[in-house]
Amino acid sequence: MKPLEAKQVCECLYLGVKMDGMTPSVHPNVVGVGVAHKSSRGAFADDLAIRFYVRHKLHHLLVREAERIPPEIEGVPTDVVESREFSIWRPIPPIYHRKVRPAMGGLSIGHYDITAGTLGCLVKDRRARYVLSNNHVLANENRGGEGDPILQPGRFDGGKLDRDVLGRLVTYVALDSGGLNLVDAALAEPHNPDDVTPDVLNIGRLKGTREPELEEEVRKSGRTTRLTQGVVEDASATLRVGYSRGTFVFTDQIIVGARSGAFSAGGDSGAIVVGHDGKAVGLLFGGSPFFTVANKMTHVEKTLDVTIA
Amino acid sequence: MTVVEEVKRRHEADLLKTPGVVGVGIGRKEGRECIRIYVSKETPKILEALPRSLEDVPVEVVVSGLFKAR
Repeated sequence: MKPLEAKQVCECLYLGVKMDGMTPSVHPNVVGVGVAHKSSRGAFADDLAIRFYVRHKLHHLLVREAERIPPEIEGVPTDVVESREFSIWRPIPPIYHRKVRPAMGGLSIGHYDITAGTLGCLVKDRRARYVLSNNHVLANENRGGEGDPILQPGRFDGGKLDRDVLGRLVTYVALDSGGLNLVDAALAEPHNPDDVTPDVLNIGRLKGTREPELEEEVRKSGRTTRLTQGVVEDASATLRVGYSRGTFVFTDQIIVGARSGAFSAGGDSGAIVVGHDGKAVGLLFGGSPFFTVANKMTHVEKTLDVTIA
Repeated sequence: MTVVEEVKRRHEADLLKTPGVVGVGIGRKEGRECIRIYVSKETPKILEALPRSLEDVPVEVVVSGLFKAR
């Protein structure tokens, strides 16, 4: 019999593929059948063999007699290779989009009713430690209420209310449509203090807070564009920023230009802008096609009456 | 507050009323502090409407596009 015909017989006997005049059956260890030159110690023989792909290849004495693959089928030699299980290639989500405990700065987070933003860092007051991010990430642009569940990862990254709640919304600085805004900031309190750590992914522990300096190099670690570098081009900007609820004017803001590519994109909101000395200078919350905008960290600490943990 | 900051403060409300202007800030150009005016698009009309300098502080027009929350 030719190898291809013998292979069809094997597809029926080992994989359960229907064939006229034969009873299909399924072998518990065989996941595939093919035709290939028999390989032995890296070298291939001239004759074609039926190739069995198995989950686990064992010494033939360890395999029950009924499950042994015969050395020859219909006059064609057989070969057994271990392939494990075949599966489709699912993309593995980056750690920034995944559930991580203890949770840290840089990871996906969000109010249960928004898509996803970035967890900035931990801050503290006399009472407790909190997770810092933007109002529009943790409090859904003033729509959120105290106690609302906060998901890590955010809903867009698969965060679910029954298993991914990190904590609850504690407070936010209301966005003011008529006046000048200084910060887009909010705090969430973790249900379990052990579920959070003060580290920022790929940056490490923050070493305090200071004012930004013109033309200084900064970094940020955020959910979408991950670790990026930029330059402070403006440290006292007043600008209009568009939200889903309308436009708000912000004053005394930091404008960051990219070193290459983009410094940030949608989903990076809430990331901490960090100086070369490891000190936090800004809280990222918006951007234009060419720039990123961040609140000054000094304003964030003062307005919420907290310090970096 | 520095002189440039005072000049910016005096003019920013008026500048932000100019159609196409989305922000006003302070940057540095050739080692010297300047006032940056952010515009959503570069058009001859807006370039004509904006000053080259304000109270002897140089002005730099920066095309930024619209700013949005991320």
